[in-house]
Amino acid sequence: MKFVNKKNIFIILMLLPSTFLLLGLTIFPFVVGLILGFTDFSLIRPQNGMRGVGFENYIEIFTTEEFWISFKTTLIFTFFAVTIQLILGTLMAVLLHHNSKTAPIMRALYLLPLAVTPVAATFSFRMMFNPSLGVFNFFLESSGFAPLAWLSKPDLALISLIIVDIWQWTPFIMLIVAGGLASLPNEPFESAKVDGAGDIQIFFHHTLPLLKPYLALAVIFRIIDAFKTFDIIYVLTGGGPGISTRTLNLMAYRYGMEYLELGYAASFAIIMLLIIILFSQIFLRKTNIYSTKVARL
Amino acid sequence: MSVNYLIKKIMSYFFILLFAVWCLFPIYWLLSTSLKTNLQTNSKPPVFIFKPILDNYKLIIQDFDIWHIFFNSLIIASGTTFFSLFFGVPAAYALAKFKFKGNTDFSFWILTTRMAPPIAMLIPFYVMYNKLGILDTHIGLILAHISLNLSLVVWIMRGFFEDLPKDIEESSYIDGASYFSTFYRISLPISRNGIVAVGILCFLFSWNEFLMALILTDDSAKTVPVGISKFVGFQLIKWAELAASAIFMIMPIFIFLVFFQKQLIKGLTMGAIK
Repeated sequence: MKFVNKKNIFIILMLLPSTFLLLGLTIFPFVVGLILGFTDFSLIRPQNGMRGVGFENYIEIFTTEEFWISFKTTLIFTFFAVTIQLILGTLMAVLLHHNSKTAPIMRALYLLPLAVTPVAATFSFRMMFNPSLGVFNFFLESSGFAPLAWLSKPDLALISLIIVDIWQWTPFIMLIVAGGLASLPNEPFESAKVDGAGDIQIFFHHTLPLLKPYLALAVIFRIIDAFKTFDIIYVLTGGGPGISTRTLNLMAYRYGMEYLELGYAASFAIIMLLIIILFSQIFLRKTNIYSTKVARL
Repeated sequence: MSVNYLIKKIMSYFFILLFAVWCLFPIYWLLSTSLKTNLQTNSKPPVFIFKPILDNYKLIIQDFDIWHIFFNSLIIASGTTFFSLFFGVPAAYALAKFKFKGNTDFSFWILTTRMAPPIAMLIPFYVMYNKLGILDTHIGLILAHISLNLSLVVWIMRGFFEDLPKDIEESSYIDGASYFSTFYRISLPISRNGIVAVGILCFLFSWNEFLMALILTDDSAKTVPVGISKFVGFQLIKWAELAASAIFMIMPIFIFLVFFQKQLIKGLTMGAIK
């Protein structure tokens, strides 16, 4: 078959506009960012222009302790937030799947957190976390516990952030798992039941393996997003107390947009990009979710 | 019905309700705060039973700044949705329906554009926009938001198109229709649900997006999340008013969700993955 035929022309025409757009909006900025990362460009001393400094920014980043602290904070935040969301989201999807009476209304309620602008939701949480007037401490005190200084102790502040993230994003995982459950075949479950397997056994031996591609997709999207969470942290703790909840994203923002060290921040962002690409490549290959079926015509 | 079965049922209802309370409570708290007086919001212990007032809303709808922010978000989210669909849907179709060399690599490349931490794009964007003079404009933020949403459209719609029954299209080809008219007249209309669902998601992501809006806009194109965050910074004491403006500004998304909830779930669960 010749290369120039109607089919190929069609494919190219369909792909070209978005390819150009994505090249312009992602690859071009990426190249600009890459170049910036090798300069000391700063808006504080614009008269100096862009001076090449080689790998100086990168060396500086890797040798500052702050970077490693932020890296650790980012990993802890991402790991706990996504793990708890995965367990909770799957649990709720399964419960709803076996409870068809309440499912439609409950699914509608569970979706609400996804729609609330994170900044607005975080504001609500910030009121609730308030040490003296907040409703969380009110509940704690009325059930006989000591009130907590939610946002002003380093460890607790990070936990508070994880709580907000769990609130907002568990429904996302639930939604995808619910979709997966709805599309599962019936036969393996019926035969397992005939064999006398219990509910929990069926779940771990039959349901979970079949759900794997759905879970993998939900998790990869969540990891990517949790890794670069910004709004929740910016509004709830601003990275504090101290730098205890300052993730990599927030640190890059501070250097770029507050200290206006654009060259330094650009190299910082490149490092974040490499970390996430490396990680998701490994994840995608291990779980094999993008060996999708492509219809042949 | 055994006792065992009954216990399981009760447990499951318990968890389902508990999770519903957990999901609703922060929204309820925001809403109830917006209906209190400033005095009530600052009382200890928190006030649960009170006579709701609309004063805070009356105050904020007279605020020009809030309408300005609101319409900015409306323009930017609509623009982003339209262009993301316009460019993304055809690409998704080609990737779903045709096997060609580099198909999965191309799909993966599109996904990586979403992985990039926005800050990696934003610093170059900021420098470029500064040069082009489109900082703090609608079109500037729409472009940036397209870069986030295009990949979402392509990935979800690709899954959706893959699930369409093949015979409909094949019979269209046998009837002599071209690839393009089959796409336009057959595949697009039957994928309406998916397209609406993805469109709503684009709108939602654009409406809620914070970091890009924070960096690329200042005042004239400021969006809802930036507006709320600025209020939080400046007047943290006036909880009631702040809550009212937050509720006011997240309203459109809620209305969307209520009206299109079924379509959203259906569209997503049909095509999100495969």
